[in-house]
Amino acid sequence: MDLNFTADELAFRHEIRDWVAANLPADISHKVHNALHLTRDDMQAWARILGRKGWHGYSWPKQFGGPGWTAVQRHLFEEECALAGAPRIVPFGPVMVAPVIMAFGSPEQQQRHLPGIMSGDVWWSQGYSEPGAGSDLASLKCKAERQGDKYIVNGQKTWTTLGQYGEWIFCLVRTSSEGKPQTGISFLLIDMKSPGVSVRPIIMLDGGHEVNEVWFDEVEVPAENLVGEENKGWTYAKYLLAHERAGIGEVNRAKRELERLKRIAKAEGLYDDGRFRDQIALLEVDIVALEMLILRVVSASNSGKQSLDVAGLLKIRGSEIQQRYTELMMLAGGPFSLPFIQEAMDAGWQGDHVGAAHCAPLSGAYFNFRKTTIYGGSNEVQRNIVAQTVLGS
Amino acid sequence: MDFEFTDDQGSLRDAVQRWVEKGFSFERRHGLAKAGGATRAVYAELAELGLTGLVVPESHGGLGFGAIEAMVVMEELGRGLVNAPYAAGALVAPTLLSAAPEALQAAWLPRVASGDVLVVLAHQEQAARYRLHHVRTRATASGSGSGYRLAGAKSVVPAGDEADAYVVPARLTGADDDTAGIGLFLVERAAAGLAVRGYPTQDGARAAELTLVGTPATLITEEGGALIEQAADVGIAAVCAEAVGLMEKLTAITVEYMNTRKQFNATLASFQALRHRMADVKMQLELGRSMSFYASMKLGEPAAQRRLALSQAKVQLGQSMRYVSQQCVQLHGGIGVTDEYIASHYFKRLTMLEMSFGDTLHHLGEVSAHMQDTAGVFA
Repeated sequence: MDLNFTADELAFRHEIRDWVAANLPADISHKVHNALHLTRDDMQAWARILGRKGWHGYSWPKQFGGPGWTAVQRHLFEEECALAGAPRIVPFGPVMVAPVIMAFGSPEQQQRHLPGIMSGDVWWSQGYSEPGAGSDLASLKCKAERQGDKYIVNGQKTWTTLGQYGEWIFCLVRTSSEGKPQTGISFLLIDMKSPGVSVRPIIMLDGGHEVNEVWFDEVEVPAENLVGEENKGWTYAKYLLAHERAGIGEVNRAKRELERLKRIAKAEGLYDDGRFRDQIALLEVDIVALEMLILRVVSASNSGKQSLDVAGLLKIRGSEIQQRYTELMMLAGGPFSLPFIQEAMDAGWQGDHVGAAHCAPLSGAYFNFRKTTIYGGSNEVQRNIVAQTVLGS
Repeated sequence: MDFEFTDDQGSLRDAVQRWVEKGFSFERRHGLAKAGGATRAVYAELAELGLTGLVVPESHGGLGFGAIEAMVVMEELGRGLVNAPYAAGALVAPTLLSAAPEALQAAWLPRVASGDVLVVLAHQEQAARYRLHHVRTRATASGSGSGYRLAGAKSVVPAGDEADAYVVPARLTGADDDTAGIGLFLVERAAAGLAVRGYPTQDGARAAELTLVGTPATLITEEGGALIEQAADVGIAAVCAEAVGLMEKLTAITVEYMNTRKQFNATLASFQALRHRMADVKMQLELGRSMSFYASMKLGEPAAQRRLALSQAKVQLGQSMRYVSQQCVQLHGGIGVTDEYIASHYFKRLTMLEMSFGDTLHHLGEVSAHMQDTAGVFA
């Protein structure tokens, strides 16, 4: 039992810290630290900067061009990036589809797709949810019919995050209606420029365009884009979910946002108000406890000695904490959280703010973050999973 | 960074577990509680295992182990619902006595290590609530020699009428609330002018009220303020670890019950409302365990960081204890609120622990007062 990092790990932390300080553009970190609107170019610029260093796929093993870091090193990298105000890595390429391609894809698929993911040049989207398949994902209907050396895809995906920028999309599609719903699903890589693919925006409650519907109308997909075997897609999707992901707790981001909450509370004269301050203190304890839980996962993963089956707990707790800090920030804004001036969330806006500039994005973030307990397997589904492991029945 | 236990720590855990399985059944615990809560005999058995000397330096006849070993033992005593003043006598007292002049250490620590004597901290006062520096009890140098005499009262002293001696904070100078001017004194049970009123506690053990009237005492240190904080933090870490063992076992008992008990022709474990409750219980258990590790691993930090960390831990464990114990009773239904069933005794012990060394609101106030601009495990 030792909470301290080794000298090598600390040296690694400083290497990352120095590199991020030297390479993260100040205009981007300014936006992140102040919750201002990030453009596609901002996100892709950071992806490419990481890509040039070989760190966009920072969790990848060496054989696929990754740095081959340990779980502790990955955690330190995530922490340093988050605290420095780096944008979150858009996960669909490097974090989600890449490990599936590495584990189950053909050598051709690996050679074709992994370099573009690592470099940050190719933007990937995720095609899982459908209007009729949310928490019950296995009931999905988007259909892929094999015709010769092609699949013909028809149907609809939804909640496709940042799909408006997507160049490729990995989809779970139905290739068989026989047997259990899970057994007729395949994992397909689809070029979003293919004829018949259309993307329609869904405007969310904060007024933002973050998610989309993606429609497939007689879309031809070369059969070589099937990952692994037909009708085994559910297994691959589950592999993705089970893949070690201490990052889903988002604790490093929470630490950064807690600092912002304190800055806002001070500026709004609330930091010396005991009632409000105690709420911040409680959140601080929640964040430290989550960080400790995550460090236990990281340590177990690093030593490979024990498996700590707590991914569901991390998702539940992490999302609750994200909602809590957005809630407290909004409350800190007080009446100045009411105005809805979307341009005020753009960096460099020259208009007149109502109240302090830091108030502009607070309500929007609170509204937007209601998603965190819904997406990625709703927290109720996560509780089902946790209960299964606790009760063994 | 490493959260693994060493082989030696594993053996220590096994030894305590074996003793619990062989010698500390629920029936025995229940009988002790019914008989008034005297547990000195249990303490003597822990001494036979060598556990009372766990953290006492080898030079004074102890094993010289540290905070992690203490945590391991406390987890297992918690799991076994062992009622004995182990944390008070074997963890907190040695921390206090280690600041005493060498002669005093040599006179007492070997006997503390062997378990021949039980020394406990008597720090709580009527008006102090959980404030460690609120000390109204006064110390005055006695006319002859280097001795002192104490006047005042101490409340809810653990195993107070079973102890052989007490470490008593008493004010040398200043007002009741001053952080400076607090001395720590050793007071023997047989001392003149000491009245001890013992009584049972809600969790099946004993405590006592001490009244000191011109009671002769030996000075441990004149710099008692910082030491009592350190000792309280040792106590908090022990409480946290014990709570983890208690919560883990209570959760296991509840899981077994839910998989057995049927209503509406189905096991309780088949109802989603109850399953989700168990997921939340598991959450609080794991957050609590994480912060118990944190508490023990932060004990060696400089005072400011240590105190903030231990308060953070106590806030988490306080919430975890309350949630887990309340829900596990609820999930049992009626049997959960009976005296004959074991779950209610876990519930009561966990409830008492929340109020030991400062409750959740007290420590939330501490975190609130001392938090910094940056936060986190390594902040």
